[in-house]
Amino acid sequence: MKNALTGVERALFLTLAFAAFAAAAAGLGARAVDRLAVHYESQRNAYAIVRVIAPEGPAGIAAAEIALARAPNVASAAPMTAGRAAQLLGEWGGGEVRAEDIPPMRLIEIELTRTGPSVDVSGDVMAALAQGGVTAEVIEAPDGVAGGGAVTRVRTAALWGAVAFALVMAIIVSLAARGLAARRRELVTVMCDLGATRGQAAGRIADEAAVLGLYAGLVGGLLAGVVGLVVMLLVIPGASAETLANMILPIDLAPIIAAPLGAAVAAGAGARGAAAYFHAKAARLG
Amino acid sequence: MSRLNPTDLELFERGILVRLSNVDAGYGAATVLMGVDFEARAGEVALVTGPAAAGKTTLTHLLRLALPPRSGRALIMGVDVARASGRELAFVKRRIGYVAETPVFIEHWSAFDNIAMPLRMLGRKPRDYAEDVRELVDFVGISEAADLPMEKLSGAERRRAAIARALAAKPHLILADDPTAGMSPADGRRVVRLLSEMRRVGAGVVIASQDESLADCAPILRWRIERGRLTQVDHAAPEEVEAPK
Repeated sequence: MKNALTGVERALFLTLAFAAFAAAAAGLGARAVDRLAVHYESQRNAYAIVRVIAPEGPAGIAAAEIALARAPNVASAAPMTAGRAAQLLGEWGGGEVRAEDIPPMRLIEIELTRTGPSVDVSGDVMAALAQGGVTAEVIEAPDGVAGGGAVTRVRTAALWGAVAFALVMAIIVSLAARGLAARRRELVTVMCDLGATRGQAAGRIADEAAVLGLYAGLVGGLLAGVVGLVVMLLVIPGASAETLANMILPIDLAPIIAAPLGAAVAAGAGARGAAAYFHAKAARLG
Repeated sequence: MSRLNPTDLELFERGILVRLSNVDAGYGAATVLMGVDFEARAGEVALVTGPAAAGKTTLTHLLRLALPPRSGRALIMGVDVARASGRELAFVKRRIGYVAETPVFIEHWSAFDNIAMPLRMLGRKPRDYAEDVRELVDFVGISEAADLPMEKLSGAERRRAAIARALAAKPHLILADDPTAGMSPADGRRVVRLLSEMRRVGAGVVIASQDESLADCAPILRWRIERGRLTQVDHAAPEEVEAPK
């Protein structure tokens, strides 16, 4: 690239890098939303409350605990204390709730293991309790409240939002790359006069723009990755380089990898279109 | 080249590089060339003279395939211009050396690189063409400016560089639009002699200029264009020359 990254090319490079950065950052943001939504749904699905109906009193709770320890799909079980209930009511209601005001409860919080969608977890738990001589009901997180059922919508919105934003950035990259073609108009004219076909002339300019887009996308994508890591270190309590390395999945890096490729394709396409237009203007007067 | 007519190709093989028959051409609503009949052969030099705005440049654009004929038939190197595809036109263009009235160059490239460009477009490697281009640079007399960026060259040097570029790929047809503009009479005559030399290697040369005295520089067939109508001044019947290989 003779005279690359001087003057207009440098401004173009920065524009492409910024657009790639924005697209990659949006993609990383969408991945973060997706991961959070999945995590939230997983936690929500793994939580249930057992209400012991009979036997009454501490004996019922103790019998239920023993039965739950043997029940399938139950990872842990802990009777709801007055203090825990006061804390939860305080969080949900917003006001202060005193533990002394909470009446004796017959509730047990249980954490479920992950199961397939066809497994009737509540039925299995109730059967295990019945075998232990306990009559109880299992209350799972309802679908209609507290974000139930919203996860799919959130994930879809995050994905398509990021895709739409990336497309807008691609259009910006494509339009900016037309500027490169305009700057190379004399080359297109000369090539046309010397007998280059439209494809040859446009391809020459598109290749140059694609290389510029590739490098700019690489810079933008890597910068978005670095910013993403810094944000994670600041936002996630107790996060370290080691925990982040374990936390990040290969799919989370897709926006960083897509940024240079997308920028190269968009820049190449924009420059090719403009160069083809300039060739057509040079090839046929009148 | 599936649309090529065997009869048209035969004309080209007989050395008839250009045959315009009753051609009209122009820009937008304006018709500049009217009923033009013209022929250029391999090994001949044609000088088209006429006043300003008579249609000389338009004729050159027509011959270099940049302007389609509105009516009539334009046959250039065996290709019917009106019917040819973009690929066919590009193929023919690669066999035309064109010296524009205001040549366009890649300004930040050296004169050498600009002159070598037609050869690069033909896929030749620098080590293969370097010597040829140096010879060409010497031939047009810009050896000292060859390695300078085009933007540093004077008007006369740019014109010579344009001539060198037009000759680089050993074209069959050389078109020069007012190649002596802005030059001293002596330099102008030297340039025309230089272009005329190309007839010796079998190329056809068409020069458009206002300067009728250029006809004295070399054996030249003279044409006159006025208000878009072209007439032949000399009616000598040159012997047919084989098309350049």
